[in-house]
Amino acid sequence: MASSPALPFAGGIRRRLDRGVLVLPGLTLLTLGFLMPLALLLPQSVQDPDLGFGAYGRLFGEPVYLHIVLNTARLAVIATICCIAFGYPLALWISRLGPRMRIVALVALVLPFWVSILVRTYSWIVLLGREGVVNTVLMRLGIVDQPLSFLYRELGVMIGTINILAPFFVMPMVAAMSAIDPRLSQAALSLGASRFQAFWRVFFPLTVPALVTGAFLVFIMTFGFYVTPAIIGGGRVKMLATLLDYLINTSSDWSLAAALSFFLLLVTLGVFMLARALAGLARVGRRRSQ
Amino acid sequence: MNWQALSSRLSDAALALWSLFALFLLLAPVLVVVPMSFSASKGLEFPPQGFSLHWYGKLFADPLWIEALRTSLVLAATSSLLALAAGSLAAYALVRNSVVWREAIAASFIGPMVVPPVVLAVAAYLVYARLGLLGTMPGLVLAHTVLSLPFVVMIVSNAVAAFDERIEQAAISLGASRATVLTRVVAPALMPHLLVSWLFAFAVSFDEVVLTFFIAGVHTTIPKKMFITLRNEIDPTVTAVSALLIAVTVLIGVIAVLLLKRRILTVVGAEKT
Repeated sequence: MASSPALPFAGGIRRRLDRGVLVLPGLTLLTLGFLMPLALLLPQSVQDPDLGFGAYGRLFGEPVYLHIVLNTARLAVIATICCIAFGYPLALWISRLGPRMRIVALVALVLPFWVSILVRTYSWIVLLGREGVVNTVLMRLGIVDQPLSFLYRELGVMIGTINILAPFFVMPMVAAMSAIDPRLSQAALSLGASRFQAFWRVFFPLTVPALVTGAFLVFIMTFGFYVTPAIIGGGRVKMLATLLDYLINTSSDWSLAAALSFFLLLVTLGVFMLARALAGLARVGRRRSQ
Repeated sequence: MNWQALSSRLSDAALALWSLFALFLLLAPVLVVVPMSFSASKGLEFPPQGFSLHWYGKLFADPLWIEALRTSLVLAATSSLLALAAGSLAAYALVRNSVVWREAIAASFIGPMVVPPVVLAVAAYLVYARLGLLGTMPGLVLAHTVLSLPFVVMIVSNAVAAFDERIEQAAISLGASRATVLTRVVAPALMPHLLVSWLFAFAVSFDEVVLTFFIAGVHTTIPKKMFITLRNEIDPTVTAVSALLIAVTVLIGVIAVLLLKRRILTVVGAEKT
């Protein structure tokens, strides 16, 4: 740190203060619009009507609510597994492309990533309808002889959700895979490993931290996903976020809504910490084995 | 050709086929909307029949959609400028390591991107209800600004970290004040990143639906109107809105790429910094 020669210490302190002040406008906005509302969830969940954990009792005591919590967790696990199966090979392929083609593939990946979720959800309604393209193709190919119904059912919600959230998994995977030195796999091959071994014993372990982080990200996003389940599910697929909508906008059950949101927030934070710990473990394990 | 070479060829081909299929599945929903918006038919058909602009005509003749567009633009313009100003200053302060609890503050700036939107929507709803901010523009601007902050802070932090601090020190040793250094040295050098983060902040606000749906009251934005329309019925006017939104997204993307060139890959997370 270079500071003014005459008063190095005072100058340093003053500069630190000057610069520190710059964080305040942003921090004030963040506090008012983000930190404070989240911090107030807990107190609001334990009052109204009476002080106590009544809302949490209802949330985990009444089968209706517990069922929705478990069902959402189940759908989030399915979506995560599908995103990995769908996205890992795609990321692998993109990361192996030459520089030019990789840019083309990334554009094809980023475009849907940035187009509004509403637009993509709407497209899936059109594609998955009774007379939609998917049913037309399936019937022409003779795979089914009656149009399948996707909309207002879990199947349709899952197709839309996986399709919309997959880029969140694929993008960081591409980044992680591109950062791996290709000479590592080449070294394994030249030392007599088969391609199968070079992939599973050298390349794949290096991608595990990103895989874990991405998988947990998809899990969390599905767990709290609102737009697509609300539209494709049409109120018939019950998930946590649609339940929150009902509690706030229809039944005005504020304490239960606060309790459920707080629970969702805790799950989100918990999953993130778990992901970080697991990704860290994978890295440590790798270093040990080297 | 030996067996091993054959099997590796086959697995490469299978990987390429699967990946092309996956990319097709990602792109198809985006691409299908554009031709459909020019369809001449009364309902939703694919492939579309004939060419007509009547869905666009219907859209622009509807005062409710126009009002929604106006609200969306005002909201996005206000909140993105606020987020740009507050976020880039904060990013600068955080990167130059002069803030107490730097790690914690930096992490909390990313928070709005990580917390599920519906949780934030409920939290904001409950607080706004008590403060009388429900259904007000200031309330909406605050919520949208906070949602855009992570993008600004992330992009600008990367840029500041890559900017040589000695250039700032040189300016100071030549007698420039801190403010002059920021406005005349740092800001011009980081202009492409500032513009891109402003664009992203604008896009985040223009796209936002969950919070807006919960807290906007009588105000209606384009995404909120789309969401409500889609939940209630299938109205092909939405096809025209969708096609326009895709056009705007592509436009923003092209501008961002032109501004940042290859560095855009680190911004969207497809490449490590």
